Amino acid sequence: MTGRRSARALLAGVLLLTLLATGCGVRPSGVITGRSATTGPAVGAGLYLLSDGRLALVIRETKGNIVSPEQTLDALAAGPDESERRQGLVSEVPAGLVAASPVTATADGSGLTVTMTGAVLPLSAAAADQIICTVAEAIALTGGGDGFAPVTIAGPDGARPPRSCPVK
Amino acid sequence: MGLRVRLLLAFALLGVATTAVVASGSYFQARTVILQQAQDAAVASLTDQLTTIYPVRRLPPSQDDLDRLAQRLSDREGYAVILYRDMRAQGAQVPEPVTPELREAVGNGVIAWQRVSRDGEPVLLIGTQLMIDRPDGTPVPSGLEVYSVRSLAPEQQSIDRLATLAWLTGGLSLVLAVLLALLAARGVLRPVRELGRAARRLGEGDLTTRLTVRGADELADVARTFNDTAGTLERQVGELRRMEADARRFVADVSHELRTPLAAMTAVTDVLDEEADRLPGDAGQAARLVSQETQSLTRLVNDLIEVSRFDSGTARLGLDTVDVAAAVTATLRVRGWVNRVRADLPPGISARLDPRRLDVIVANLVGNAFRHGAEPVSVRLRADPDWITIEVRDQGPGLDPEVLPHVFERFYKADTARTRSEGSGLGLAIAWENARLHRHAGQTGSLLAGNDPAGGAVFTLRLPRMATGTPDAGGPR
Repeated sequence: MTGRRSARALLAGVLLLTLLATGCGVRPSGVITGRSATTGPAVGAGLYLLSDGRLALVIRETKGNIVSPEQTLDALAAGPDESERRQGLVSEVPAGLVAASPVTATADGSGLTVTMTGAVLPLSAAAADQIICTVAEAIALTGGGDGFAPVTIAGPDGARPPRSCPVK
Repeated sequence: MGLRVRLLLAFALLGVATTAVVASGSYFQARTVILQQAQDAAVASLTDQLTTIYPVRRLPPSQDDLDRLAQRLSDREGYAVILYRDMRAQGAQVPEPVTPELREAVGNGVIAWQRVSRDGEPVLLIGTQLMIDRPDGTPVPSGLEVYSVRSLAPEQQSIDRLATLAWLTGGLSLVLAVLLALLAARGVLRPVRELGRAARRLGEGDLTTRLTVRGADELADVARTFNDTAGTLERQVGELRRMEADARRFVADVSHELRTPLAAMTAVTDVLDEEADRLPGDAGQAARLVSQETQSLTRLVNDLIEVSRFDSGTARLGLDTVDVAAAVTATLRVRGWVNRVRADLPPGISARLDPRRLDVIVANLVGNAFRHGAEPVSVRLRADPDWITIEVRDQGPGLDPEVLPHVFERFYKADTARTRSEGSGLGLAIAWENARLHRHAGQTGSLLAGNDPAGGAVFTLRLPRMATGTPDAGGPR
């Protein structure tokens, strides 16, 4: 009886020691997550290109100049530059599709309207989103409205239904 | 398992278990704290450094931008890896240190970190995306991912020191436990050993043995009980001895009281004996019978007095240097046995002994041989420098093996059917006591009974040649 008891105690001791010996040092861990990622401001004209079909923010240096939404739309219509193309960024906005008049607030003040020079109805959804997000970003940058305001794209062939920038 | 070993094991186990629990508990706690502090500090430091790289001026960045950024974020404690889509800062030449699960967590828009082992060295990986604040305050992912790779070797060293300390503490506590156990075992074992010693002494007959009662624990209780038991035993044995002494004294007193009337009776029966022939028929026979029985009674009383002298320790040797052969021959001649006994008595053997007692012994042995054995009876004397040996043997049937152990007992009747023997029944007992009374250099004389393989009983008397006085001999057997 005593023998079995002491044997059991011995086993427990050995287990404990083994646990201690193996648990020593700095062990690898799983991923530990903290607060949300660092944020900071950007300086320059922001426009949205597509990377693998998803909207991607691109910032172009403006050398301190304030850029109007219309100028930004011009840049968008010009498409990605050399280095952007190397990164696999593309644009579905057709070249030459620029703003026909300054971006204005809609009649009821709940959104923005941008009138384009070309047909807007055949535009792909991605292209429309590029325009919407770029306009909203530029308007917000110039203090003309907030980035979530629904944007109506109009053209000679009519107007697309208002939509907010899906990038959050 | 002995008490000492058990105590030792129990203490050692207790000590080790306690230390293991406490030391490992504090070790793990301290390790967690050390790692957490190091990680939190590293994350805070990285976050601080990252705020300095804003505002972002160009997206997508050029390779130069990435390299510059990586350089700015690298310091003595670690280096940074900057990823942007397929681009990667050149700063880090090491193979891809970032784990897929960390990239996934970073892709979800949080700061994430992970401890991994790189070439056996613990490394902390911290990763975050760089988000860009839109003017309205909502962050947009820029696609830039910053990973900081930082060695945890200093923390590993601190933790290893803790572990060493824990092992050291454990070892010390084990030593301490063993010392304590030895101390406790001694404290417990000493009274136990004393108790064992006292019990052995008591068992060997020292009834005055007592223990010193120390303290008021269970062992003290045992000691007290032992003392009580020993006391009771001593009292009862003393009582028994006193009663036995009383009984012996009574026998001695009775024997002495009987001597005077017996002397008178003997005087009368002597006269009767002389007249017996002249008395008619039955009266003469009766007179002879009375005379005979009176003689027997006198012999018995004398033997009883002799025995009681042995018992009371008052028997003394009357030592004299004698020629043993001459003494034995005298014994035989006085009793008229010279012609009936084959005597082998080499002359010139002298010994210092009590001649009266030697006479009693030899007469008893030879008389017994005639009475119970068969002739021829032989007496043989032998001697070595220290001892003389006298053998008396007969040619009878020998002694019954069942009788053999009892022949020297008082009033022992070998033949139960024979209720009355010619002797008193004390003869061999007295002979035995007489032999033992002779003593030399710590050894006593002896009288042994046995059987010759060739048939017949053999009594062997062994006496020292230089017997000394025996003040303490003849005590109760």
